[in-house]
Amino acid sequence: MNTTMTKKYPPMEVKKRKIIHASDVLAYAGLILWAIICLFPVYWMLTFSLKNNTEIFGENVIGLPRYWIWSNYSQALNTGHMYRYFLNSVIVAAATILITLIASFMATYAMTRLVWKPRKAMNKFFMLGLTIPIHASIVPIYVSLSKLHMLSTYWAVIIPYSAFSLAMGILISTGFMGDIPYDLDEAASIDGCGVWGTFLRIIAPLMLPAVATVGIYTFLQCWNELMFANVFISKDAIKTLPVGVQALSGQYTTDWGPIGAALSLATIPTLLVYVFLSKQIQESFIAGAVKG
Amino acid sequence: MKRPLSYKLSILAFLLPALILFIGVLIAPIIMSGYYSFFNWGGPGKVAEYIGLGNYRELFTSNSIKFMRALGNSLLLALFSVGIQLPLALLLALKLGKKIPGERAFLSIYFMPVLISTVVIGQLWLKIYNPDYGVLNMLLRSLGREDWAKIWLGDKKVALWACFVPILWQYVGYHMLLMYAGVKGVPPELNEAAMIDGCTESQVNRYIVIPYIKPILRVSVIFAVTGSLKSFDLIYVLTNGGPNHATEVPSTLMISMLFLRNRYGMGSTIAVMLILLCFAFALLISLAFREDK
Amino acid sequence: MKKLLAALLVALLALSSVCALAEQTTLTMWCIATESDANRPAYEAAIAEYEAAHPDVKIEWEAFENQSYKTKIKAAMADPDSLPDIFFTWAGAFLGDFVDMGNVYCLDDIYPAFAESLPEVMTQNASYGGKKYGVPLTMNIVTLFANMDLLAQAGWDHVPQTYEDLTACCDALVAAGITPFGCAGKETWCVTEYLEPIIEKTIGYEALNEVFAGRQTWNDEGIAASVSTFQDMINGGYFDPNGIALGNDEVKANFIAGKYAFYQNGSWNCGEVNDAEGNFQVALFPVMNAEKATYGQVIGGPSDTLAVSASSKNGELAANAAMELGKAICHYGYLAGSGLPAWTPDYDTSAVKPLVAAVADIVANAEGMVLFGDTAMSADAANTYLDYVGQVYGGDIDGAGFIAGLAADLQ
Repeated sequence: MNTTMTKKYPPMEVKKRKIIHASDVLAYAGLILWAIICLFPVYWMLTFSLKNNTEIFGENVIGLPRYWIWSNYSQALNTGHMYRYFLNSVIVAAATILITLIASFMATYAMTRLVWKPRKAMNKFFMLGLTIPIHASIVPIYVSLSKLHMLSTYWAVIIPYSAFSLAMGILISTGFMGDIPYDLDEAASIDGCGVWGTFLRIIAPLMLPAVATVGIYTFLQCWNELMFANVFISKDAIKTLPVGVQALSGQYTTDWGPIGAALSLATIPTLLVYVFLSKQIQESFIAGAVKG
Repeated sequence: MKRPLSYKLSILAFLLPALILFIGVLIAPIIMSGYYSFFNWGGPGKVAEYIGLGNYRELFTSNSIKFMRALGNSLLLALFSVGIQLPLALLLALKLGKKIPGERAFLSIYFMPVLISTVVIGQLWLKIYNPDYGVLNMLLRSLGREDWAKIWLGDKKVALWACFVPILWQYVGYHMLLMYAGVKGVPPELNEAAMIDGCTESQVNRYIVIPYIKPILRVSVIFAVTGSLKSFDLIYVLTNGGPNHATEVPSTLMISMLFLRNRYGMGSTIAVMLILLCFAFALLISLAFREDK
Repeated sequence: MKKLLAALLVALLALSSVCALAEQTTLTMWCIATESDANRPAYEAAIAEYEAAHPDVKIEWEAFENQSYKTKIKAAMADPDSLPDIFFTWAGAFLGDFVDMGNVYCLDDIYPAFAESLPEVMTQNASYGGKKYGVPLTMNIVTLFANMDLLAQAGWDHVPQTYEDLTACCDALVAAGITPFGCAGKETWCVTEYLEPIIEKTIGYEALNEVFAGRQTWNDEGIAASVSTFQDMINGGYFDPNGIALGNDEVKANFIAGKYAFYQNGSWNCGEVNDAEGNFQVALFPVMNAEKATYGQVIGGPSDTLAVSASSKNGELAANAAMELGKAICHYGYLAGSGLPAWTPDYDTSAVKPLVAAVADIVANAEGMVLFGDTAMSADAANTYLDYVGQVYGGDIDGAGFIAGLAADLQ
């Protein structure tokens, strides 16, 4: 069969290769063009962060900097408190990820491995969270936070971010937890493990791959969020990176170098992580969407 | 099977953290928003006055609020997204899915903008678009196309497009990645069989790959549309709804109602409209894809 | 019982203030004197001076960009605990909203100690129900800045004093390839800096005051005509079309760099313009309707204000600090040219910059004054008004649409 096939279609093999080659040139050019479009703004940002206004405004718009003005960076770091904003974003992201992981693993465990009637309905209920826009609850949350005197604290953003990451966390966890064999639960229960023991000793350790996926997803949600952070946080000491960058850009409207430096400072760490973890990060996003 | 009470309590305990967060931060506030939307209310510390559907009426008729304009803009953004962004993403995904040299490098480059903070992207494009010193106008001038140079974010006719380009730039990679994963998931036998039957590449894409990744396309369309309805960050940074509401979207309008005009009742009304719209569109799209099958 | 409690409370307060004296007290302050703001040096100098005079008090201050600060301070009012001890605000309805919410510390008790150098009339814009709530810093008016070098290139050796001259001058400038005006469309208050003087010079300051106060309808033919005049100027190519996408800092930088012949904005820019390279003068917008208005009528007044939050743990200390800081900011601001003094100068004023002196002269001879519209109106009304002003600048509505819309939306 195999031999007849190759014998039957030898000219086509050749032809096929040729056709692909011809159309590939165009397609390839397209792919490269889009890659340049993706990279150019970032390249431009990195270069103008090291230039002065005369270079940026005409002398040397897109070339490499002539003088490499590193003081733009020290200006952004010192007068712009970029350190502080960065640290705040890390604190907020870490706490949000932790809360999201704990809450979504526990809830997923109850909804996939414990036996009770309305568990499917409960899952659907949580999935509503995928569609609800984060903005819709801003007024009541704002009013409650202000009554509880929690505005301008880390919790003012950590709690809403966790709540809004929850639906995706449960969705991803459900996929991962479904892959864990149910025999394990039974074996554990025969060994005398209760539900808590099973969850803590058997299931949770096996959920490590989900930690990365949920973590990455949650991280990007809260790392970049602007609206809540902008409204709920007014103290400079608590500001997250997006709010800080926005404020800084308002202060240096006409001096582009330090703004470029601040933008670069906010971007470089994420890009560095991406260089090392690109595959893992991409897979998290795929898992997040495809399992929905 | 009868379970002991302690088992039921355990279930509740496992659900409790998620339920508290979910109900406390999502469900209850939405109900509160609905309640606030019936009041004329200047914010915490001020007396609220019950006005029934007054806010809703004003929202749709007022000349200075222009909610319909905002709604139209976000629908336009959704249309651009589905009509331009998704096809571009699909095209890239189909090409990349064909095992070409440098596949991973392309993938990683295309996806990179997704990871950059939206505020950074907004500020960066603000500089790119600057009418005097922005790199875009400079480029056009150096190419001798002075006449193409524009006040990108100040011209009512182009501002919305100008806002859409960074959105496109940032999110094409995201949709491309999802579709790419789908394309990679097509069983190779299917492709080979079709090739053997003499199908061209575009026929394979059309009759085999695209139908196969339909569930992913549905997810992409839902994300693109609901994402457009709730778009805020980029527009807030780029134009904050200006010039003259040319790029106003419901979220920017809501924020200015709340924190510029101190109209908390009206802000809540816009929030309620946003939720309704998001659910309506998610439902509609799901239905559309179901009928197709 | 009550008396006992009160006595105890007083004792406690006294004790705590003694304790506070023993260690350093920190007062927090928010303002809009960002690095690129003309007032920055005045704030720095004033704070340094205050801290030197009160070694036990430290001022921790933060500056925010003008437009976003308006959102921020309003948001913070919802949670008085998040307010700083001292905050910058605009007088008029802007501060009035906060006073209504009970978030502002009343300054009546400490005012007498400063009454000698702070004239009563200067505190009026920040007084509500007969009580004082704000410390005025500087007073400012809208002025027309002119780049005389560019005017000379178009054959003009003086700033036009009549509307006919102004149009002739602008036409000459356009013919010489010079953009006459720059106006930041991204910040609508900058557009009001153009529109309000035109309206005032058309209907007169008494009428405009009545309209801003809500006692007269916007439905006024004179206002519609003013809007048309403004739009005619825009359509005639007198304004930099790029302005609509720019912020005020960018437009000001353009003017100082010699890109525009005129720039109409607050007199707080005087120092900066004065120090820039080039030959600049200040003037007022010419009269449009001589039957109703005179050249000396101006837009402005003491608006920049410091206020103390009622929730401050060191209210009295903060109030005194606000007064002293206000006086010092006024002093350094006047010398630096970022505004005219609301406080009577008790220092040598011979070093005042020529442009500032020119504006001081204009104010001394003012024939009528109207407070900035968005300061005079409440938040909702002010933003509706700004919205319509934005539509005028963008050419979405004409004069008839402007007065009809505002008359309908603001009753």
